[in-house]
Amino acid sequence: MSEIRLVVIDPSGLHARPAARFVQAASRFSSRIVLRQDGREADAKSLIALLGLTIRPSSEITLAAEGPDSDAALAALEAELAPYVSPAG
Amino acid sequence: MGLILVSHSDTLVDGLRDMVAQVAGSEVAVATAGGTDDGRLGTSAPRIAEAIRDVLDRADDAVVLLDLGSAALSLELALEDLSDVDRQRVRISEAPLVEGAILAAVQASVGASVDDVVAAAESATTMAKLPRA
Repeated sequence: MSEIRLVVIDPSGLHARPAARFVQAASRFSSRIVLRQDGREADAKSLIALLGLTIRPSSEITLAAEGPDSDAALAALEAELAPYVSPAG
Repeated sequence: MGLILVSHSDTLVDGLRDMVAQVAGSEVAVATAGGTDDGRLGTSAPRIAEAIRDVLDRADDAVVLLDLGSAALSLELALEDLSDVDRQRVRISEAPLVEGAILAAVQASVGASVDDVVAAAESATTMAKLPRA
């Protein structure tokens, strides 16, 4: 499973609209994709799971993908999140 | 896959339609039926039937979401007004209107089946609202 770590920089965290865009982007890939925060994990293709994580500003999140198109999925989703995150140090 | 938003208030579903379009995108067909024919709070079977037909013109299947239970009576009358074929293409959701509409629309926007869309909407019933401590 490949993964990338990111820090949320948007002052309102990851709210409904970007979360929905993220789910739409993730759904284009066949890989299993998850978003983790504080030991909790959400299916990146489910809006309710994602909103349930309540991703707050300054929190660190991990985006992980496993499957045939996992690298392309991570690249696309990192681009999708770009306005809201920065790479974790 | 389209959605019909039914409410006692036209203003309420008008705003919700905007929200759905902004969150899920405009590819999902959405129609609203809010208030009575003379602009009061309430529901109207003919307005609901018209909204359902509007969505069925643009999509294969339709999911109806309601605000309060009493809208179900008007909805029942509206369904009786549809042809048998059309009625088969309509599903009624138990989901809370706002959360259900958003979750259903996002699921529909990624090309999910009608069963998945209905399930997404109904998952809103147990959705936490306040962030967990």
